[in-house]
Amino acid sequence: MPGLLPHTTDLAIRNDVAELAILRGALDRLGEEFRIPSEPLLQLQVVLDEMVSNVIKYAWPDGGAHEARVRITVRVDGIEVEIVDDGRMYDPLLAPVPERLPAGRRPKPGGVGIHMVKQLVDECAYARIDGHNHLKLTKRCAVVAVDR
Amino acid sequence: MVESALKVAETRSGQVCIVAVSGRIDSTNANDLLTRLNTLLSSGEKILLVDFKEVLYLTSAAFRVLLVATDEAERNAARFVLCSVLGQVRDLFEMGGLLDAFTILGSREEAVAKLGLA
Repeated sequence: MPGLLPHTTDLAIRNDVAELAILRGALDRLGEEFRIPSEPLLQLQVVLDEMVSNVIKYAWPDGGAHEARVRITVRVDGIEVEIVDDGRMYDPLLAPVPERLPAGRRPKPGGVGIHMVKQLVDECAYARIDGHNHLKLTKRCAVVAVDR
Repeated sequence: MVESALKVAETRSGQVCIVAVSGRIDSTNANDLLTRLNTLLSSGEKILLVDFKEVLYLTSAAFRVLLVATDEAERNAARFVLCSVLGQVRDLFEMGGLLDAFTILGSREEAVAKLGLA
């Protein structure tokens, strides 16, 4: 049964790309439970995949087992995602915009994901707190909580 | 519940090998798609048409695969063409600044008709 809003889900994601399936499943379930419209839901799937896969791939260059924490908060006016990791300091909002190439010239892969995310969310904020990267992304959309 | 698994199915129309992709293409499965595309190219396919009609969404991991496959096709003197890039999927190509990076034709039928004449 659908719950009351706001609704918070906390997930721990190990630094293994296969773990992204956990996020995908969690977001699908929230989408169903709170009847999140499909367009913002799919856009958030893209956002989570981009940003958490970046953390998994680049936050801990020395390898080893690490964990990122992801908090998804469903509110009546949108969904907020917070990604926290203790990897090297990195503010994705400072990433340069990939240059637009003339038709016929193909870009090198890379840098595209963050550029897309900035367009897909309504707000993004980064902070480095006590040795942790905190990235907060907000997608605004109307979420209609259904009565129990 | 939306279909989550990535599915890749191949069919043929004359010289055109149609690769119909459905579901989501993301960091967890994009390399599976690359493996399939590379296998087709190395087996000697000269015209690959990737149909995006049933794709729910894709991430930059998919764009990386498509860029790598485009280069691989070039090395094999093969054509690598996309079709049915519509709606939200098209928006994502646009946001990634990648609409101009590939040869994108309209519907599968239009693409096959055009490529079959080549």
